[in-house]
Amino acid sequence: MGDDRLDRDVMATDDAPMSAAQMLELSRAQQQRVADFFETPTLIIVATWGVAWFVGFLALWLGRPASVLPIPGDIAGTAFAVLMIVGVVTSVVVGSRTGAGVKGRERFEGAVYGISWGAACTAVPVLGGALQRAGMTTDVAALFYPAAYCIVIGTLYLVGAALWQDRSMIVVGAWILLVGVVAPYFGAPASYLVMSLAGGGAFLVYAALLLGARSRVKRSRVVRPS
Amino acid sequence: MNELDPVIHAQARLRIMSTLAALSDGSSMTFPRLQNLLDMTAGNLSTHLRKLEDAGYVSVRKSHNERTPVTDVTLSTVGRRAFEDYMTALRALLGEK
Repeated sequence: MGDDRLDRDVMATDDAPMSAAQMLELSRAQQQRVADFFETPTLIIVATWGVAWFVGFLALWLGRPASVLPIPGDIAGTAFAVLMIVGVVTSVVVGSRTGAGVKGRERFEGAVYGISWGAACTAVPVLGGALQRAGMTTDVAALFYPAAYCIVIGTLYLVGAALWQDRSMIVVGAWILLVGVVAPYFGAPASYLVMSLAGGGAFLVYAALLLGARSRVKRSRVVRPS
Repeated sequence: MNELDPVIHAQARLRIMSTLAALSDGSSMTFPRLQNLLDMTAGNLSTHLRKLEDAGYVSVRKSHNERTPVTDVTLSTVGRRAFEDYMTALRALLGEK
């Protein structure tokens, strides 16, 4: 008796039947929504680092006395440090919340990956500080920091590519590694400009591509989840 | 074989199954997260989950995190297979491979 009533209740809550094509689209739209849920944190982390690098390295480049638009060096240095801290905090907070409400592989992967960004980007200035104490000059530091950031972040992209079978991340990761090892050959302060445009620019382009891919998927939906 | 599984062939339950099938094998989702990704009321979601649980397609596990009750929903092996069969049947109806 109770089961009959339950069945009737369930049937009563069933929506009007849809065609096979609509049901297929409904399922695809829902799976895309789940994919978006897991990808949004990555998008936020990538976009944040894009802005932090683009603005931060541009500030360092402009912070030299002979630059086209000179800004005081200590302001440029402070701006850079603040942006890097914002990047680290954003990565850790957003990364650790990736897949909240899910238990299993996805949650673990997302959290470890996001926190790795924060940890790796904290490791660079800590190592740099030790090297400066050991006698690394400001000029050499200007070559070390950008290259070290590129090496850790380029590697993180390649790890991300392996985790999510994402080929576009291989391209971005390899590009950032390349920028990191080539930029120091330009010498300071030109290396800062290379980092800002080629490094930060690459993040921003990648974030824009991710966003573009997502909105294309959304526009192509026939059935919207109700 | 072309008959569509009536347990899955309802908008709400298809969406629940699609959400859980998007996770890797053995991963679970909490009730509030599921509700949030589906935009369903708690009552409506519970009703449909019960139907899926009765069919053995999902397992609903209630536990406590300190004092807060936590409900985890997992797609069972039978459920994953039923979802795949349903999708195959749906595509076959549409002439897709």
